[in-house]
Amino acid sequence: MLNPILSFSAIRRMRTFRTMLIVIAYEAALLVLAMAIMGGFLKDELYLNAMERGPLCYAVMLGAQFVMLFLIAPAMTSGAIAGERERQTLDLLLVTNTGSFRIVTGKILESFALLALLIICAMPAECLCLMMGGVTVLQILTGTLFLLSVALACSAVGVLCSSLCRSTVVSGVMSYIVLLGIGVVTTLPFLFGYSQKITDVVYDAAKYAELTPAGARAMIPKLLYLNPGFGLLSLVQGQLHVLTDYMTGHGWGRIYCTWLMMDRADCRIIAVICAGGLVLVSAALAGVAALLIRKSRRKE
Amino acid sequence: MLKIEKLCKNYGKFPALKELSLEIPDGQLHGFVGPNGAGKTTTMRILATLMAPTSGAAWVDGTNLIREGQKARKLVGYMPDFFGVYDNLTCNEYLDFYARCYRIGAAERKRMGAQLLELVQLQEKGNEYVNALSRGMKQRLCLARSLIHDPKLLILDEPASGMDPRARAEMKGILRTLREMGKTVLISSHILPELSEMCDSLTILDHGELVFSGSVEGLSERMNGNAPLDIRLAENAGGEAVEETVRCLRELPYITEILQEEPFLLRVRLEGGEDVCMAMMRELVTRNLPVCDFHRAPMNLEKVFMEVTQDA
Repeated sequence: MLNPILSFSAIRRMRTFRTMLIVIAYEAALLVLAMAIMGGFLKDELYLNAMERGPLCYAVMLGAQFVMLFLIAPAMTSGAIAGERERQTLDLLLVTNTGSFRIVTGKILESFALLALLIICAMPAECLCLMMGGVTVLQILTGTLFLLSVALACSAVGVLCSSLCRSTVVSGVMSYIVLLGIGVVTTLPFLFGYSQKITDVVYDAAKYAELTPAGARAMIPKLLYLNPGFGLLSLVQGQLHVLTDYMTGHGWGRIYCTWLMMDRADCRIIAVICAGGLVLVSAALAGVAALLIRKSRRKE
Repeated sequence: MLKIEKLCKNYGKFPALKELSLEIPDGQLHGFVGPNGAGKTTTMRILATLMAPTSGAAWVDGTNLIREGQKARKLVGYMPDFFGVYDNLTCNEYLDFYARCYRIGAAERKRMGAQLLELVQLQEKGNEYVNALSRGMKQRLCLARSLIHDPKLLILDEPASGMDPRARAEMKGILRTLREMGKTVLISSHILPELSEMCDSLTILDHGELVFSGSVEGLSERMNGNAPLDIRLAENAGGEAVEETVRCLRELPYITEILQEEPFLLRVRLEGGEDVCMAMMRELVTRNLPVCDFHRAPMNLEKVFMEVTQDA
């Protein structure tokens, strides 16, 4: 039997005017972005950089969606449990035979379903990149899958914060802070735990040539794999190989070295590890949220 | 049968419930009475598996409500005093949602939903949005929700609060039907006369302690023994006779309180049993005071409740 929390919350959400507005605004923003890049493409009389505009359009749209997900997800999920408390419907749910984990997974999947709808509905807009060339359908599908893993993690963070807070507003603010915190904390190893070994290997042509992908992956700080931004950049780099050229031109030192190390480690694998990590983190957060609800159910 | 044994609940150091023990036989409409903060809602939330007690246990038909939460939830239906409803859901969908939460099959869900809407007289409202219903209708819908899994024990925390007299009467009718259906209903309310009309038995709590548990008649009988005495004096005797009677009563050592309820009606409390009553009556007659009526003051549930909770 389908999780009733998922199906009925989705029905309720889809009946609101607000949901329709969010979908329209999200898709319209992406379409405008794609059209703006495409407009530049059409004005280019010699079409010299045609093969660069397609990847650029794809990368920008992926990045825009990534940012929009981080902005929308907390607002969508903040009321998942806190809203039930505010409405005084949580008790009615807790006296049923639905377990805490089922309630939490229902809430996460319901929020995820809306974010997934936004991401999937954006695919036709993304396909405009195909007209400019340099991007394949498979790359767009892979990018969509990565965004879905990010959406799942955002939903899990939102529902965890919602199960901790009594008010929807506090829960929303907390979700933004936690997501920002995750971004900062997972970047710290790069800022403070950067190994000089990476620079040494990158600037030593012989060592770099001998370095295996597994060896390169081992040199990258592990916590960085849980940074969704790092995962997105790996995905774009792995697919398009445009970022290293940009960084070489701008002399980004330590970032450049890490980037070359990632290139060696195979960026696509890093993106897959990152997406998998996000899914695992989501499951762990769901478990924690379920424990919190279980605790509030029995030890009030 | 509901059995509660030495149930205690402390909020920090504050004891909200002190060793409550109780037995309610099957098919009874049992009233749960007490002033605010007496521990009624705490007891009901423990029985509804929403709260763990500090100590003690409770069973419904042998199922431990504290330890066997999942199994117990199938046996217990709960309607809290304050509750919300989901917007953007129709009444049919609302009941279907909770039925799914209880993992009831599709055919059974449909049948139960229709039956319960008919029971709470909302059959015409099945396709209307829940948030468009009046307060009374929402209360009845919530009652239907608590019955969706056909529980043995129904816990209703102030089910008629905030309802108009008509809606109250309708709710009372529904509760009588539930009793006829053989459900054990535990109902708390501050509307005490309503409880005395409906309930087979009562429990009175005060400051977390059990003050009384038994039949409504038993409570009245017990309290009537301690009821004050009404002494009516002949109206043609004049005010001086009343003053003389009061003076005489004050001289008697066993009289604890004298109230003038009406110009010629005195209400007297005394310490002692029937022999003391007889002595007082003999004294009044011996002194030739114009007593024309002498009887125990009638006690309704409201008065009994005030008496009992005052003592505790």
